[in-house]
Amino acid sequence: MGLLALLRKLKSSPDKELRILLLGLDNAGKTTLLKQLASEDVSHITPTQGFNIKSVQSSGFKLNVWDIGGQRRIRPYWKNYFENTDLLIYVIDSADRKRLEETGEELRELLEEEKLAGVPVMIFANKQDLVNACAAHEIAEGLNLNSIRDREWRIQPCSAISGEGVRDGIEWVIKTCNSKKK
Amino acid sequence: MKLKRFLLRYYPPGIILEYEQGGLLKTKSIDLLDLRPETDTDLVVEEIARKEQLITSSKIDQVRKLVQRLQEKIGQKDEHHFYLFKVLRAHILPLTNVAFNKSGSSFITGSYDRTCKIWDTSSGEEMHTLEGHRNVVYAIAFNNPFGDKIITGSFDKTCKLWDVKEGKCYHTMRGHTAEIVCLNFNPASTLVATGSMDTTCKLWDVEKGVETVSLGGHTAEIISLSFSSSGSEIITGSFDHTVVLWDVRSGKRIQSLVGHKAEISSAQFNWDCSLIATGSMDKTCKLWDVGSGRCIGTLKGHEDEVLDVAFDYTGQMLLTASADGTARCYNAVTHNLVSKLEGHEGEISKITFNPQGTYVLTASADKTARLWDPETGNCKQVLEGHTDEIFSCAFNYEGNTIITGSKDNTCRIWR
Repeated sequence: MGLLALLRKLKSSPDKELRILLLGLDNAGKTTLLKQLASEDVSHITPTQGFNIKSVQSSGFKLNVWDIGGQRRIRPYWKNYFENTDLLIYVIDSADRKRLEETGEELRELLEEEKLAGVPVMIFANKQDLVNACAAHEIAEGLNLNSIRDREWRIQPCSAISGEGVRDGIEWVIKTCNSKKK
Repeated sequence: MKLKRFLLRYYPPGIILEYEQGGLLKTKSIDLLDLRPETDTDLVVEEIARKEQLITSSKIDQVRKLVQRLQEKIGQKDEHHFYLFKVLRAHILPLTNVAFNKSGSSFITGSYDRTCKIWDTSSGEEMHTLEGHRNVVYAIAFNNPFGDKIITGSFDKTCKLWDVKEGKCYHTMRGHTAEIVCLNFNPASTLVATGSMDTTCKLWDVEKGVETVSLGGHTAEIISLSFSSSGSEIITGSFDHTVVLWDVRSGKRIQSLVGHKAEISSAQFNWDCSLIATGSMDKTCKLWDVGSGRCIGTLKGHEDEVLDVAFDYTGQMLLTASADGTARCYNAVTHNLVSKLEGHEGEISKITFNPQGTYVLTASADKTARLWDPETGNCKQVLEGHTDEIFSCAFNYEGNTIITGSKDNTCRIWR
């Protein structure tokens, strides 16, 4: 994937291709989720300093998934990647109770972005395999997700490490985009 | 016409004549592209004297000395072993492109962090950070050979003209309606051309910072552009599968090069601008005759998309780099395959000759850059160390320094 491939992926995607943006705080599990989607080894993952892109085939669709680093100092650059986004996946570390407020704040700001207006959002309540993880409904309440009225959204509990719940989430992603693209 | 002085140009070999005509100082170049160390010097000098009226009999001795100097320079076959000189934690996000100024004293890096940085090559120190773009800085260029200005093109749809010394922005040029992804100065440094995902190429006046002409007609993104050596023509390569040759002054289309069956990845002139080479996602590279606009050769053999093409400085050799992980070196005149460069473990996204034409440099998704002997295809060196794929690479004019820009946010200097 050289620079040229990046340019090709910038273009607005044809019918059977979806441009999906994967965001969330650092250590939320975005890259693990990306690798899980691509059926790759998830045992050695380091913090993403820039971005990772993978194309995954699913239900007749080609998902071009952009996983963007979530460290605080590079969050202002998330805007670089908003153009032509079909769907936003927002990943939350359900066991990191101390930063639930921070992740809620980042999500709220994303939903106010003009370039992401109306873009459906899939929220993965990740790390459900950890004993101290918040349940998805607790997170939904804490983040006041029910107040999202300007787009389709869904929260899905999952474990990116084991893969549990990931497939269900992606099915919703495809179903939602499919009905939007028609 | 009165001859004022001679200037020597090593790569490609040539003699520049500076002369006075009607009170104006002008230059013209005598290209000696076929010159070899073993070439008969007297014959070359005779030929020059016969063709060039500025070379009077009193100048013959001087010309002979210059030709001999060029032959000596071409004959120098110093094996250079490159070592890692410095790792520059250049940016906080991945780099895009890198470029040297003519002398190689400084170079620039563009990045996803929306900045372009100017670096001192010998110390590896940062001289300026060019801030102001509101999205990825993708395409960058010095106004070589002058090297006092820089142009940066961004995903924010604008390009900015900068002063090298102070790092100040002279102009922000607005008009494109999508990302700017390729650009360059014309050879006289009076114009800048920008190619955009909005399917147009625009020319901008460097002095005034205003658009002079918009080249419209492509039906898809423009991803490659190149001025002819005289600056009177420009070519644009597009995802619409075609390359267009334009007249710079009028903005009119001269030729459309139609024949590739998929997106163009790169389009380049050879030195004397008689040929254009184009790489395409259709896995081939084509050679075109500039005069007629006809395709005169299709170089097949790669098993995947051709991602980059490059001539050597004399325009006699041609390189292709492919997503199949290999590169090839061809004779640009006979179209014969000279060598295959095999060894990378990922796609090769950039390829270039050193100015001397003795080494080929490739940048790959396998996190390495490699040096090759174009004649034999032997890999001379593997430049290892980057921790993510390499997006860009460049040789300085002397051919003794290399820079590589990577997705790992660093830039490395090798010498």
